[in-house]
Amino acid sequence: MGKDGHSRRDFIQTSVRASLFIAIGGLGALGASRATASHTVWQIDPFKCTQCGRCATECVMAESAVKCIHAYDICGYCDLCGGYLKPDANDRATGGENQLCPTAAISRNFIEEPYFEYVIDEALCIGCAKCVKGCTAFGNGSFHLQIRHDRCLDCNECAIARVCPSEAISRISIKKPYLIKGKFEVIPSVEPPKSSSKK
Amino acid sequence: MKNKGIGIFVVVIVVLIVVVVVIDALSNRTGKRGDNPYKLEIDQYYKVDPAMILYKEIRQIKLGDVKPLGLDYSNDRLYVLLNKSLKIVSPRGEELSNINLPDTARCIHVSGDLMYLGFTNYVGQFHIDGRQIKLWETLGEKAVITSIASKGDQVFVADAGNRSVLRYDTHGQLLGEFGGKRNIDDLHGFVIPSAYFDLDVYDDELWVVNPGMHALENYTDEGVLRGFWEKTSMKIEGFSGCCNPAQMTIAPDGTFITSEKGLVRIKAYKASGELIGIVSPPTNDSEETHAPEVAVDESGGVFALDFDRNMIRYFVKK
Repeated sequence: MGKDGHSRRDFIQTSVRASLFIAIGGLGALGASRATASHTVWQIDPFKCTQCGRCATECVMAESAVKCIHAYDICGYCDLCGGYLKPDANDRATGGENQLCPTAAISRNFIEEPYFEYVIDEALCIGCAKCVKGCTAFGNGSFHLQIRHDRCLDCNECAIARVCPSEAISRISIKKPYLIKGKFEVIPSVEPPKSSSKK
Repeated sequence: MKNKGIGIFVVVIVVLIVVVVVIDALSNRTGKRGDNPYKLEIDQYYKVDPAMILYKEIRQIKLGDVKPLGLDYSNDRLYVLLNKSLKIVSPRGEELSNINLPDTARCIHVSGDLMYLGFTNYVGQFHIDGRQIKLWETLGEKAVITSIASKGDQVFVADAGNRSVLRYDTHGQLLGEFGGKRNIDDLHGFVIPSAYFDLDVYDDELWVVNPGMHALENYTDEGVLRGFWEKTSMKIEGFSGCCNPAQMTIAPDGTFITSEKGLVRIKAYKASGELIGIVSPPTNDSEETHAPEVAVDESGGVFALDFDRNMIRYFVKK
């Protein structure tokens, strides 16, 4: 017992409690910081993307986690689609020689004269951005690339982000994990034609 | 013996280093992979014969930080639409006045002392000093007014949302409407894939752009097709993409000045559709995507409203 009434045992008990408190607090803080970190995911800003094609080749996944997305609300449903047809295509038709996509991942469906709907088969898409570049250069820019989170491994350092020439890939909130075009469009877009039974 | 051992050790180390360097050089790890073999190359479409460029840029009028929305030229004045305001500047770039508007207009047509402004889905008629004369009836939620032109006591309004041209008198009374069908059996009329739908009047004749067909069409006042020319091509002599020409105006000598989006280029055509030459060649600038709105002065000089750089560029014949 000391002069001030505190024993060595009290001192040890207080120290142990303080250590436990600090340890629990530290673990909590660590957990909170990890939780915060996991609240972000990698994503491509479609307005910064320059369609360089590296998303297809640089992703650690054998088949890139990047896929082409179609913003239907800004698509023109054109017969002459810059994202579907080669710039020097012989015909506006579905023949393989006319198609821009190297894996035929885009299907062209007739809606009504002279409008067509373009649908992407993500299982076939390799994220090469060929259609995105064609659509952006010659069309409304409705095709754009996005990292699909059902495929993305969420690497600590994204291999594509590291080589992206336009720094279009960054971490964004998991609450809004996709940056879909269309919602950001300033110019009012024309309503797409209604589907008909002739499809 | 000792030296021989050191020599073997050094050789082994050197061989190991060479092997590591070679493996690294040949490896396929991220950051060292080759170019995408499927990359779309479109650089060829940006190259034009310099002899075809018949105009030179002699002036740029900066408009500040506010995004411009529309342009017209009349009587030595440039009328520039901004967000809920109209700026009037001289062709030299001096600001003459700034008029507040009740809403955001996206197109403007000046005729004599009157201005017609397209406020998304209704037309506003103003005096050129800014006094509001009348706001015409709205065309409904679907309407997107993209261009206005006039001829005598008739005003033509292009509505991209409803894919139609409306004809009014100067008091705002609707006289007629047509959708661009070339004949009664046609399955479609105007093809408007995006909100670009321009028209102009030259020599009392109404010319309407049919952007989805890459065509310029000449109509009677009632909407009967009189003639057209169309040119679909990625090459310089035609119109590329899904909806071009996005903008058009007709010079006093009858030259059609067209402006394209995507592959941004401004060109001059004869009324027959034959390419005369290039006003502004395409540039491989990823920040330049919007078709500049074009207007012409009495001498045939071309004003191009650059939406991407917030400026008016002025071109004259070389």
